[in-house]
Amino acid sequence: MRNPLTALDKPALFAAGSILLILAVGSLYTLSTGGGLTMLSPAYLSQQLQIAAFLGLIAGGLMMVILLGHIDLSIPWTLTAAAMMATSVGGPAAVPVALAVGLAVGVVNGLGVAWLRVPSMIFTLGVNTVLQGLMVLHTGGHAPQSRSTGLMEFLATGHVLGLPMAALVWAAVSGLLVVLLTRTAMGRAVYAIGNRESAAYLSGIPTNRVIVGCFAICGACAALAGCLLAGYSTKAYQGMGNAYLLPGIAAVVIGGTHVLGGRGTYTGTVLGTILIVVLQSVLSVMQMPDAGRQIIYGLVIIAMLFAYGRDTGRAG
Amino acid sequence: MTDATAPLLELRDVSKSYGGVHALRNVDFAGRAGSIHAVLGENGAGKSTLMKIVSGVIRPDTGEMRLDGRPVAFASPREAVAAGVVCVFQELSLVPDLSVADNICITDPPRRFGLIDRRAQRRVAAALLDRVGCPGLDPRTRVKDLPLAQRQLVEIAKALGRNPRVLVVDEGASALSGAELARVFAVLREVRDGGALVIYISHRMNEIRELADRCSVFRNGRHVETFDAHTRGHDDIIRMMIGREMTGVFPAKPAAPRDYPPAIRVDHLSWDDRLRDIGFTIGKGEIVGLGGLDGQGQRELLLALFGVLRGVEGTVAIDGRPRRIDGPAAAKAPDIAMALIPEDRKTEGLVLAMSVADNIALSSLGGHGGGILIDRARLESDVESMVRSLQIKVGDVNRAVATLSGGNQQKVVLAKWLMTKPRILLLNDPTRGIDVGTKQEIYALLRRLADEGVAILLFSTDLAELIGCCDRVLVLYRGGIARELAGDDITEMNILGSAFDVALTGSPGPARAAGAEVRP
Repeated sequence: MRNPLTALDKPALFAAGSILLILAVGSLYTLSTGGGLTMLSPAYLSQQLQIAAFLGLIAGGLMMVILLGHIDLSIPWTLTAAAMMATSVGGPAAVPVALAVGLAVGVVNGLGVAWLRVPSMIFTLGVNTVLQGLMVLHTGGHAPQSRSTGLMEFLATGHVLGLPMAALVWAAVSGLLVVLLTRTAMGRAVYAIGNRESAAYLSGIPTNRVIVGCFAICGACAALAGCLLAGYSTKAYQGMGNAYLLPGIAAVVIGGTHVLGGRGTYTGTVLGTILIVVLQSVLSVMQMPDAGRQIIYGLVIIAMLFAYGRDTGRAG
Repeated sequence: MTDATAPLLELRDVSKSYGGVHALRNVDFAGRAGSIHAVLGENGAGKSTLMKIVSGVIRPDTGEMRLDGRPVAFASPREAVAAGVVCVFQELSLVPDLSVADNICITDPPRRFGLIDRRAQRRVAAALLDRVGCPGLDPRTRVKDLPLAQRQLVEIAKALGRNPRVLVVDEGASALSGAELARVFAVLREVRDGGALVIYISHRMNEIRELADRCSVFRNGRHVETFDAHTRGHDDIIRMMIGREMTGVFPAKPAAPRDYPPAIRVDHLSWDDRLRDIGFTIGKGEIVGLGGLDGQGQRELLLALFGVLRGVEGTVAIDGRPRRIDGPAAAKAPDIAMALIPEDRKTEGLVLAMSVADNIALSSLGGHGGGILIDRARLESDVESMVRSLQIKVGDVNRAVATLSGGNQQKVVLAKWLMTKPRILLLNDPTRGIDVGTKQEIYALLRRLADEGVAILLFSTDLAELIGCCDRVLVLYRGGIARELAGDDITEMNILGSAFDVALTGSPGPARAAGAEVRP
């Protein structure tokens, strides 16, 4: 049986190589400016891992949806809504409330895509806007509690055995997703649907249930990322998720998941996430002006997709 | 019309093959100006391929085509139209979201100051619609709002607007009947009397009898004979279409018809206007064939039974209990245990990019022990034993299924469904495009499954297969069962006769076919 975890495919190798290259370029820069090898210090790497965890959670959930050949554009406000609801409830219920919000939004997305057959790009964009409106209403009349709970802060910034807690959360979720994708009937169904939904349906796979399930997972992952982000900055605020949609999609696709679904490995998504985080960090260390940073960032994504677009771009 | 008249359209020694399958082999064809020329043959005889060559849709591998005695080679339908060769195809070429007038004038609209003159366009369209017998139709109506019969009339009007010298009507009047059909026939005769050649393809024998001056019969990609209409009877023509090439590729049938306990019973099944009041039973261990010409509702019937179609009326009883099957997932559940080998193995039967093993496991995931997690070792051994028992020729089951030959791909589809241990097996033309050796294996497999008690419903476009494999054959015509044949009555003459909806001499007339000509 094919095992998407251990089989490092070409895009994953490419991403891994690019990460090393970026770190090397960054180190050369720090050496030349007399800063030493700060990029290879455990403190720096551990900090990068912590930041990567936020994006990694989002990318992991998104990957489930992209593997189906769909997309979830409601990530920014799913994340924000989950975090804001969590902080306004507060106490021990905060994280479960956030996850419930994420699951609920995901189920709504899934129902719209699977049963109403609205293209996911449109439906999730609509849901994103509705959520934005709801959150404006929520903060309109009064000022709800926006301070994150202790648990959220621990999950985001704590350390266990010298490892950042956020990275451990990411690892735990990743483990669940890998098992789901490689060892369960649902995982097989996800790949089958992404490749050829008609064949999957006619094989007796409950395709609609699988689609709803994947959107629900995607929503829950975004909600968890929202909890961590709120914990990291000690409060939930409007617009906190805005910066994560495009990097999330980019991480999945750079990791080798086919944009039209059906192919991709979880390892690739992890590497894609790390690549993006390291790239952003190196560009800021090099004190690149914001405009230049964005241009390089965008060009790198396009270049990576172009580099292996040839062998993954087969008409399926 | 004398033999001295030089042919207007002539094809010499034309061949065309698709990936090793010969669609046309060394075909000669000649049609004279001022005649209506019918082209006949059963499914896959090569009629449509021939017409696609004539109209420039595809190019022949070898051979030449002459128009007015001059060699021509059309690179596209546009060039063919420019030379006066116009086609009305079975699959309509209208753009559903444009108006009738826009469609009729789509390639060469009347212009004024470089822009389309919509008023002139409507006048042109209205005149042509008048000619085909639709004077009341507003040219501004969108094509998608028209019923199929009127769309065919618009299609014919569009063709007339191009002043054809050769007009090909490939099943282009299949939805018409009664007064509409009579009007179209009158128009076609007008076109003929104007000195054009009309090539008419239809599966309805009575139309051909009424309309044609000359007939050409095709079989298996070869031209059999061309003759003046009215010189041959129906029986002769059907015999020409069948030919004679039956060999011992089929396993022996049970000696005498047995009493099979019913596995599935269908009553009053209707869907849209494509399936009409269908009722039958299939016994445990019985192979029932679905026959008839292409597109008489056979595929829809299989999909309806499998729960894929919405809005199906009627009842389906499994093992005597009425069941509602609302999709493939419900159909494959153990209490129904139905399986469908779909029409197109590349898009419906297989996930081509996934491995052979993944494809074989696709329908039975979760059925290999364990709880949530797949028991990999057990799944692997199940797949291996299936590969062995169906003799699927594959080196490594982890290779993409796309790399296998057509026959082996179809075996993977069968293996996928046999893993679910079906009690009712529906097959949609399972041997299409498969080599003879694999066909033989599949026939033997079907008989073996039947002997184990599986109820089998086999749709095939291959007559020999229905005759060789089936214990009974249901012949469909326009969405209804035209005739049911059993035992020694399953012959080419009887199947084709009921398929073409004509009563042949010496056989009892089809009981329900008379009503089938009536439009909904």
